[in-house]
Amino acid sequence: MKVEGSYTIHASRDHAWLLLIDPEVISKCISGCESLEEKEPGIYNITLKAGVGSIKGVFTGTIRLDNINEPEHYRMIVDCKGSPGFIRGEGSLDVIESGDGTIVNYVGDVSVGGTLASVGQRMIQATSKMMAGNFFAAIEAEAKAWQKAEENNEPYKAPKHGFFRNTIRQIKNKVTAQPY
Amino acid sequence: MITGNFDYFAPSNVEEAIKLLNEYGDDCKIISGGHSLVPVLKLRLASPAVLIDIGRIKGLKGISFEGGTIVIGTNTTHAEIARSAELKKHCPLLVETAGQIGDQQVRNRGTIGGSLTHADPAADWPAAVLALDADIIVKGKGSVRTIKATDFFVDIMTSAVKSNEIVTEIRITKPAQPQAAAYLKVPQAASGFAVVGVAAQLTLKDGRCEKVAIGITGLGPKAYRASTSENALIGNTLDAATISAAAEKADTEAVDTMEDIHASGEFRRNLTRVYTKRAIMAAMSRA
Amino acid sequence: MSFLAKYIGQKVRRTEDPRLIQGIGHYVDDIKLADTLHVVILRSTHAHAKINSIDLEAAKSSPGVVAVYTGKDVEGRVGFVPCAAALPDLKVPKYPVLAQGKVIFVGQPVAAIVATDKYKARDAADLIDIDYDPLDVVTDPEAAVQADSSVIHEEFGTNIAFHHSAGTGDIEAAFKQADRIVSEKLYHQRLAPVALEPRGVLAHYLPGEQQMTLWSSTQIPHLMRTQVALMLGINENRLRVIAPEVGGGFGSKLNVYAEEALLGWISMQLKKPVKWIESRRENMTSTIHGRSQSGTVEMAVKNDGTLLGLKYQVIADMGAYLQLLTPAIPTLTGLMLSGCYKIPAISMQCTGVFTNRMSTDAYRGAGRPEATYLVERIMDCVALELKMDPVELRRKNFPKPEEFPFATATGLFYDSGDYEKSLARALEMSDYQKLRAEQSEARKQGRYLGIGVSTYVEICAMGPSIALPAGGWESATVRVEPTGKVTVMTGISPHGQGEETSFAQIVGDMLGVDMDDVLVIHGDTSIVQYGIGTFGSRGLAVGGAALACALDKVVAKARKLAAHILQTDESSLTFENGRFVGAPNDSSITIQEIAQAAHTAHNIPPDFEPGLVATHFFEPKNFTFPFGSHLRGRGRQGDRRGQGASIYRR
Repeated sequence: MKVEGSYTIHASRDHAWLLLIDPEVISKCISGCESLEEKEPGIYNITLKAGVGSIKGVFTGTIRLDNINEPEHYRMIVDCKGSPGFIRGEGSLDVIESGDGTIVNYVGDVSVGGTLASVGQRMIQATSKMMAGNFFAAIEAEAKAWQKAEENNEPYKAPKHGFFRNTIRQIKNKVTAQPY
Repeated sequence: MITGNFDYFAPSNVEEAIKLLNEYGDDCKIISGGHSLVPVLKLRLASPAVLIDIGRIKGLKGISFEGGTIVIGTNTTHAEIARSAELKKHCPLLVETAGQIGDQQVRNRGTIGGSLTHADPAADWPAAVLALDADIIVKGKGSVRTIKATDFFVDIMTSAVKSNEIVTEIRITKPAQPQAAAYLKVPQAASGFAVVGVAAQLTLKDGRCEKVAIGITGLGPKAYRASTSENALIGNTLDAATISAAAEKADTEAVDTMEDIHASGEFRRNLTRVYTKRAIMAAMSRA
Repeated sequence: MSFLAKYIGQKVRRTEDPRLIQGIGHYVDDIKLADTLHVVILRSTHAHAKINSIDLEAAKSSPGVVAVYTGKDVEGRVGFVPCAAALPDLKVPKYPVLAQGKVIFVGQPVAAIVATDKYKARDAADLIDIDYDPLDVVTDPEAAVQADSSVIHEEFGTNIAFHHSAGTGDIEAAFKQADRIVSEKLYHQRLAPVALEPRGVLAHYLPGEQQMTLWSSTQIPHLMRTQVALMLGINENRLRVIAPEVGGGFGSKLNVYAEEALLGWISMQLKKPVKWIESRRENMTSTIHGRSQSGTVEMAVKNDGTLLGLKYQVIADMGAYLQLLTPAIPTLTGLMLSGCYKIPAISMQCTGVFTNRMSTDAYRGAGRPEATYLVERIMDCVALELKMDPVELRRKNFPKPEEFPFATATGLFYDSGDYEKSLARALEMSDYQKLRAEQSEARKQGRYLGIGVSTYVEICAMGPSIALPAGGWESATVRVEPTGKVTVMTGISPHGQGEETSFAQIVGDMLGVDMDDVLVIHGDTSIVQYGIGTFGSRGLAVGGAALACALDKVVAKARKLAAHILQTDESSLTFENGRFVGAPNDSSITIQEIAQAAHTAHNIPPDFEPGLVATHFFEPKNFTFPFGSHLRGRGRQGDRRGQGASIYRR
């Protein structure tokens, strides 16, 4: 199944980028995310209590980020399973400057299996769209909080010290070290 | 097809139910007729730790009238509405809609409050309550809220009811011209759910459309009012050309469309336009 | 023989119905044995994946769980799910009862959880953690034959299970002589048979007696006994298969499934009864599917509508594995490609392919409805092309009644038929000429009225033994008890067809006894002699014929005793209405009296074997070929239909 969409975040691209790549922020902004822990550089274990309406399940699995091109692009590979079924897929995010805001375009190919897919087929597309919308809305709320903090000269903790930045550095180093 | 384990409570009043809701939070689900929840439980697409059965609470079931207002208890079954002589007289749109839900077994068990809260994008009730501009009364801990039908459907399977609230009743102002109404739908062959369903309630005066409300279900992730179409009708004489032109705009409000094996998004849009036209014509012919 | 038709052809009440409509019949799940353990099967959620690991620890320690088995436990201990169909160069993959290292369709059994009740077993299933490595999936049979397709059974290096050619006649000449060639691409979509009662198995192994009883919701208890005994490596005569009340099959229970042997094996391990009842969801994923052919049909015709030849090039979707008859189903399509028409040359080229889906197999008509659809569809296309009335085109190509038995280019002999007669009846019922007039009138007004016509012939009464992998005969035993009550043991296994009633009607008329005195026993391999089963419209046509032959033997034996007792010649006796009459002294004797005399054996001829029982194994010489016509049109008065009755003749 193809998922794609676009969301405008009213924040600078740098802010948006840092928010979109910080695991603490991500785990806060994915509704139902119970834990997101680094397993190894660039790979995170996730536990997610996700669903829509009455349908709800606990999913566990991994999220991997690669092709990171700060501050405009990364690829995300998701592999999760739970009792209602499994979700596997990959997608990429493009973060584009646009006036005083930032446009995030996402496109991905997701396969959903198990009971979830066989009986919830008609719901999956719309649900994923809703979840993506909720996620970006939460990112935007974080961006606003950050902006407000800056305006008031107050510290805004969450994104600035994200350990993701170290990760990015590590990945970059690894990539440049490869012979091509 | 066996559910997971759960604890079961059958509170005897709404306050007790709300207390349980607050106590168990995310781990519990309300059950009444069970026709949305039980299949999900049997497929283990949900395994709530606690079920709170509000089906035994007295006073949440039945159809009554308070002056010009129709009051329907949340636990009223589709079948009770479908066979109500009073509603047939004062609000036949409810009767017509109820009669088209699922099959007789589903109508005998399923409830209006449960269906609305479930907010299935293909359910029939959302179209009708939108076309009737209904108020949905919701109780929480020490609070009572009135949610307008237009604010009630938030997104796919998501209503404005919070997880610690209970829908208690649906209130509808008696339409001025009750018979000038229609609910038409394209049912899915197997389940009877609406691929697209259109409910229309009209008020005509001297051949002109004084008031109209059109509720549409099935097309998008949530049901909506076809305001653009409504505006193209209000104040005008309802000739064929006016109706056709208005119906052409019935999908304007739907940004996203549902797409599944039953129909593509584009086909659903087309059905919406066609069925809106037919629903308005039918409502007119009954006025 | 002559007999009075007191029951046959008369309206009688079905003897099965009182227990069924009261809900007091016994289906597999109604059979409760003490200490029964319950099995839930965990199935693949992937269409194609490697199994990296299966973590059973949590499930094993879950409350009530007695055992959990996976592919490793059964490897080398339980045989593979059998395919009985034989085709040249057929590739038969090994089909383990529990997946071994790999899954190739959604719904494939991966683990069996055994617990003290089914609820605990189901809960434990959620605790099993399987690590899958997804592989490329191929679900479209046309894509499966492409070079870039992933290969499902690596050992074959291809997804092609077989090539099959059928038909006779000079097809190339036919196409050369043709004025026109009309072709059409057709899909027969996959479908899932849904019997009211899903499948279910109860297995009970007695280690002391070394005997196993297997209750299964099946159409073929005897064939299953043979196959499951082989799969479990036990003697066939120590396995008793019982098909109790069976709530419909439609071909989906004409099979031997993984669960039957698996449950038997588990019962042998745990030495307790074990039960598995299929859920409706499992029924959709893990019981055979039907149809799934995509092909191109071409008809070579003369301008006057004379049919010269038919080609059918088809890809038939086998699914992931071959079940009992999977590859044989499209060959049945090939047999029926002549429909009810004279087509001098016919050629079918069929490619059977594996896909990552549940196996296809026999479902309602099994291959033959596909033939009817494609033949009837191409007839309509030809009529359209030649601007001929589709009814006239059909009529023109019917074999005439005097041309029967009619040999088709597919190698069949249609024993009898009068296709014109059934079509005429349908036309008359629907007022066809008027429908056509209304249709052309409507066209002028810019409206389209549809008229559909179909004439068809079916191949039923499966069948001569040569045509079926396990034989196509059927058996019956008639035992007249000392009190004159009649017990019938039939090898068929009715599951809704009502043969308990129709067989009692046959016995009632042929032995002149009351229908209520007849008991028909079926579906228990320890009581009934070996039989084939119920499928392919064969229960009454083949099983009933076996019964009639056995009854003839009983009457012949009874006649011998009657002549002895009445002190006359056998030839002077007439058997009518349950009584031998015609003795010179006007004395007579009833079948009940004969039965008693045969059992007491105090007054029998010297060479007479006591008792009154006979068994017959009936081998049919041919199939039967019922036929009919359907016509439907929408006229001014609404829907109008016509149906020509099928006429059976033997």
